[in-house]
Amino acid sequence: MSLEVRDTAVGDTPVSETETGVKRRDFLKVLGVSGAAAAVTACYPNDKVEKLIPYVASPDNTVPGVSTYYATTCRECAAGCGVLVETRDGRAIKAEGNPDHPVNRGALCGRGQSALQGLYNPDRFRGPMTRESGKLVPVTWERALQLFSQKLGEAKSKGQSASAVFISQHEQGSFGPFLDQWLGGYGMPAHISYDAEAPLSTIAANRASYNVSWPNLEFGAAKVIVSFGADYLDGWGLSVTQQLAFADARAKLDGGPKVYYVGARRSLTGLNSDVWIPAKPGSEKTLADALLAAVSGKGTGGLKAAADSAGVAVASLEALARELQTSKPSLVLAGGNGEDGTALGVAANDLNKALGNVGVTVKPAFSSLAFEGLSSHSAVRDAAERMAAGNVAIAFVRGANPAYSMPGAVKFAEAFAKVPFKVSFSSYPDETTDLCDLILPDNHSLESWGDAVPTIGMIGLQQPVMDPVFNTRATGDVLIAAAKGDPSMAAKYPADYRAWITARSGGVVAITKALPTGMMASALAYSRVSKIVSGKSAGATAGDYFLHVYSSPALGDGRGANKPWLQELPDPVTKIAWQTVIELHPETAMKLGIEEGELATVETKQGSVTAPVYLFIGLRPDTIGIATGRGHTSYGRYANGCGVNAMALLPAGEDSRSGAVSLVTKASLRKAGGAARLITTEGAGRQHGRGIARALTVAQLVAGDTKDEKEVFVGQASNDFLPGLRSPVANDAQGDLGDPKSKDHGQYDPNHWSGVAKRRWAMTIDLARCTGCAACVTACYSENNIPTVGAPWQGPRVMPDRSGFGMNITRSREMAWIRLERYFEIDREPKDVAFNPDFDTRVIPMLCQQCGNAPCEPVCPVYATYHSPDGLNVQVYNRCVGTRYCSNNCPYKVRYFNWFGYGEPNRSQYAFPEPLNWQLNPDVTVRGKGVMEKCTFCVQRIKEAENRATLEKRELQPDEFTVACAQACPSRAIVFGDAADPKWSVSKMVNDERAYHVFEELNTYTAVVYLKKVNH
Amino acid sequence: MATIARPTDEMPRPNIAKAGLQLPAVKDYEQVDREIMATLRPTKGWFAALTVAIVCLMIGGAAWTYQIHEGLGVAGYNPPVMWGVYIVTFVFWIGIGHAGTLISAILYLFRAGFRTTIYRCAEAMTVFAVMTAGLFPILHLGRPWKFFWLIPYPNWRLLWPQFKSPLVWDVFAISTYLTISTTFLFIGLIPDVATLRDAEKNPIKKQIFSVLSFGWRNSEAEWRHFARAYLFLAAFSTPLVLSVHSVVSFDFAMALVPGWHTTIFAPYFVAGAIFSGMGMVFTIIIPIRKFFKLQHYVTLNHLDAGAKLCLFTSMVVGCAYMVEFFIGWYGAVPVEQEYWWNRVFGQWWWAAWIMLTCNMILPLSLFSQSLRRNPTWLFILSLFINLGMWFERFVIIVPGLSHEYEPWQWSTYVPTFVDYSILIGSFGWFFMWFLLFIRQLPVIAISEVKEIVPPRLRRVHPYPPAPEGEFASDTPGAHA
Repeated sequence: MSLEVRDTAVGDTPVSETETGVKRRDFLKVLGVSGAAAAVTACYPNDKVEKLIPYVASPDNTVPGVSTYYATTCRECAAGCGVLVETRDGRAIKAEGNPDHPVNRGALCGRGQSALQGLYNPDRFRGPMTRESGKLVPVTWERALQLFSQKLGEAKSKGQSASAVFISQHEQGSFGPFLDQWLGGYGMPAHISYDAEAPLSTIAANRASYNVSWPNLEFGAAKVIVSFGADYLDGWGLSVTQQLAFADARAKLDGGPKVYYVGARRSLTGLNSDVWIPAKPGSEKTLADALLAAVSGKGTGGLKAAADSAGVAVASLEALARELQTSKPSLVLAGGNGEDGTALGVAANDLNKALGNVGVTVKPAFSSLAFEGLSSHSAVRDAAERMAAGNVAIAFVRGANPAYSMPGAVKFAEAFAKVPFKVSFSSYPDETTDLCDLILPDNHSLESWGDAVPTIGMIGLQQPVMDPVFNTRATGDVLIAAAKGDPSMAAKYPADYRAWITARSGGVVAITKALPTGMMASALAYSRVSKIVSGKSAGATAGDYFLHVYSSPALGDGRGANKPWLQELPDPVTKIAWQTVIELHPETAMKLGIEEGELATVETKQGSVTAPVYLFIGLRPDTIGIATGRGHTSYGRYANGCGVNAMALLPAGEDSRSGAVSLVTKASLRKAGGAARLITTEGAGRQHGRGIARALTVAQLVAGDTKDEKEVFVGQASNDFLPGLRSPVANDAQGDLGDPKSKDHGQYDPNHWSGVAKRRWAMTIDLARCTGCAACVTACYSENNIPTVGAPWQGPRVMPDRSGFGMNITRSREMAWIRLERYFEIDREPKDVAFNPDFDTRVIPMLCQQCGNAPCEPVCPVYATYHSPDGLNVQVYNRCVGTRYCSNNCPYKVRYFNWFGYGEPNRSQYAFPEPLNWQLNPDVTVRGKGVMEKCTFCVQRIKEAENRATLEKRELQPDEFTVACAQACPSRAIVFGDAADPKWSVSKMVNDERAYHVFEELNTYTAVVYLKKVNH
Repeated sequence: MATIARPTDEMPRPNIAKAGLQLPAVKDYEQVDREIMATLRPTKGWFAALTVAIVCLMIGGAAWTYQIHEGLGVAGYNPPVMWGVYIVTFVFWIGIGHAGTLISAILYLFRAGFRTTIYRCAEAMTVFAVMTAGLFPILHLGRPWKFFWLIPYPNWRLLWPQFKSPLVWDVFAISTYLTISTTFLFIGLIPDVATLRDAEKNPIKKQIFSVLSFGWRNSEAEWRHFARAYLFLAAFSTPLVLSVHSVVSFDFAMALVPGWHTTIFAPYFVAGAIFSGMGMVFTIIIPIRKFFKLQHYVTLNHLDAGAKLCLFTSMVVGCAYMVEFFIGWYGAVPVEQEYWWNRVFGQWWWAAWIMLTCNMILPLSLFSQSLRRNPTWLFILSLFINLGMWFERFVIIVPGLSHEYEPWQWSTYVPTFVDYSILIGSFGWFFMWFLLFIRQLPVIAISEVKEIVPPRLRRVHPYPPAPEGEFASDTPGAHA
């Protein structure tokens, strides 16, 4: 037994490596949320056990097999959500929303949850590296720091410091001021805080109108919401905050807002809107101005001209103007992404002012600070110009990847390559880091100390949840170590970055007290200075089509591309995974003679990309849509060679006021010849009258007419909704919920003395709330060890016609236990329609319905699937022989088969290459090849809660726990619980007037009850 | 059998058709022994055919090994199409296995004379087809090494199979059928094996034949017991012909997949099985009678009669198709209606029309007597029937799964080289056994042929010869 306890601060401990370069087991216990945490804060035990069996002597406050949760702050985007990271035996296994955090209130988006796959990314740098004769080679930290200090010294002594450029990923909080102080010490200019996907134009407009960067948006107070391209559900602004507010607003049903979307492409936000006004890219400002004139009583005369220039029907504008005048308050948002973005934002803000929304739905007094201190794209472009001119002697980059995310016309990579010495602090190899001469890899945000100021009056704390996975060091500590070597600066810094931020935000005692909650009420000085270099216009661009480049909801500006969960997550709108597609309207494709899946080339003056065509009815026929995020060349095994980079097409046009890059240009399009399989999870794009995702109009709801819209045929048996979860069939536990007079108590007697059959686990999903964001999907992958199957090496090895990314998904072999189905309510296939902006979209999460009378159960020849006394369809992996009959007989098609050994480490198809497997939930089996799997209603959570209640000698409390999808859902659409106990919320929800079962006519008696969407 | 049975007043109507009518070119017992036992001598053609069969088997074996190692993903499965070529081929071979028992048992009970010369071949085909079919439910499992969990055996964990599952019924149906058809084949072989034993010089083979013939001594008592046993087994097998394929059809009919959940499936599958079996009998017997010069045993009359059975079952099957289509429309279940449209005119139109052409349209040619009596045409047609019946199962299984209740999960299906290799391997496996069989045991029942051949002591043929010309083409060597 060698138990080494060191009383040392986290982050400065060099970590030994095994031959594989990965430590096998490190255990760190810092501070837990449990009450006893404060007792150990005096020493931060850093327990290293290099043995197979952990914890011969257990650290205090840790029980093997019981999770410890650490509150920290998410750094996957600028919003700064609070997360609770579940750790087990020293490893982080799941990221969940912090229920007390004001930004995300317990919800967490897919990107935030995928932080774990960044932490355990198999392509992360194992340690520091330097470039020797053109190649990056590993070095020790001592050597790397020596080189770093030497180069800093050289720059200072040669007087080159003033030309230095430091580009860091935007993180609000103390790091920015710290970095600027450090740079200042060397005589270097302040850093560029870069976020490629930040809504810079909106921020600039808000500053101009309200003098804050991001006022609080009260979706719930609005009767009408108008969005001019502001994709508030797709990643624009504070996505989780906005989604929570939007879902809460829609959940008011008839009291909820009517939502308008103005833009060339119907994004997820657009699909969640009631009316789409498909304005030409670049014409939004004209429309906003005309609407402003109309609502401020200057007459509706301007609407006609504006409608003509935007290519939309004037009637829709007039209706909108009327609606805005009559229904108050309203909320007008603008997400300008063109060269007039700020002007559009100001116009939208003027509309808010004219309509009296400021202070009601737009609250500048309660502003978010997420985007304070943000630099503009033009600042990066300006730096690139200086680099290209040879005026920059030393450059630093941390987290940001401008070589990938800047427009192709900026030629950032070429410019950056001209800098004599380049240092990267990034954790992963990427296109920018690839060009660097010295790599000092930063800890992952889950391994680091830090803080954030998401909103006025509070600090969000960031603490390491585990020891560093690799031999990395926090950049703050590295910078302090370098400064310590310089006598002029040494005295200004404490021992490490943690001490620096502790001193800044109120001292050790206050922080220690606040850490278990991850928040402290305090004011913290934050930089409000944004580095904005005024933008340059690209001038007129040529081409027959508008090119609309948008930020991928899952991958963002590309930073998500090395995480297989996000690559495999189908885009909420196009349902494409592992692929970049060129989106065209079917009408355009027909005109050009392009079939879906055929390759097309989009060309601008700056470059061209060739990709398969995807037909999307929510796009103007004169517009081409392409998502960013893919097409990496050096971002790890999951990103390289997957898709194309649309940024290469863009000219270096910018909004002059905000410096934001313009994502709208003109382009030409031609058929490229050849075809590719679309990597999509979409089967048919409409419901064929099957009543899967149902909706009501407000009028129907108010009139109490909640009847089905399903087609009913003469002679068909009535299949009206059975209230609640009746299940009068023998194979179910629901005897007392079924016919009370029946003597048939089912397979399990509900009145059995043991009480085993008294529960009925059930779920409701409110489609009025669900937006289709798919955060639940990632939560399920994370909780249930679901393998991703889209990497090129996860297919059959001898099959030359089926290789490359997404091969398994082209054969519909994705494993998502919960999937988002997106149906268009149109009467022809969505591949074959003329342009019509007026269509409804339904999204519905589909998962195992845990039928009371399950078709899958009787057909399994070996009892691998059977009914449990508490109403679950249980799947016994060990008993499964893989006949797949259960899947054939499942009408919902929610059973997934292990076609390869995705869970077997010695196989090429293994989905969790070291150290991704550190994330695996130890409570859930990793399935081997040849067995069926499906949603279990998180049976491990049910059992954990029941065991905990038993140990504490008490009954399970109503709503005591929930399942992973419900926990993550940023729309709060999913409610889980015991439908047999009237005290649980779910037992009330199942009796809602909007409730229905999918395929009720099949008498499956499902435990998942959907509540109909309400359309305005 | 109107063409051969010409009852006259002076002759009795024995159960077995007269040799003079059935086999005019077979004169005596020695000729029977000599000509039929000649099939047991290996030829170059036989070695070549066996080599091809074994190579096919090895291709299939290699593909299966690869599939076991890598996982079922190497096959073309495309969820929700969770069953594909393997289950299609399983049902195909089970269907083939039905004609043998029909010919040897049911036609025996019905005293149909034309069965005499083809039943041994059909019976052997049955056994080997069931042996082939039985591989597929194992082969298609995700974890084939656990296949025995489907069998109810006493075990430590007190776990039993789910007796509600049609797959468990399959286990019983197929194992029963294999047992009975094998027993029937070996019982029927006893007198013939005794003949081989008597002619055999090799002491080891002689010993084996002695065991297989149960010490047959050709006594009256033995013949009597043999006849009763044979009759009993025939009666026992007859319901199995109907039940086994009904049970196989329950794999589909018991599920709620559109296009599967149909009450017509049991009779429809049985008719299809007999039809496909007749097709395979032609595929096998026509080359055998040609290569072993047995045209005067398996006469055109026999082929003609078989072709009529084939035509009849084709029409039953065609009727079943029409009823299926009608009910699909008439049931007014939109899911079913869309499925039918998609199957016949949509995504799977090509497969459906291969099926309809091969199984309904081409067999109508058998209304022509000259085509019924044309072995070349029968052989070509039999290949089309085999193809059509394989596609019938494909059209039942795959389109239903690909177009179910949930439109979001509609899909397609493209088999891979592994599927095709295993399909080829199954033919290799089947023909390997069949070729080994015809080399070791008589492919035409010697004893039953002798029963209708004039006994040695009768110098004069007791029945008047057939009128000149009517059976002229029946003499050996008269046709190629």
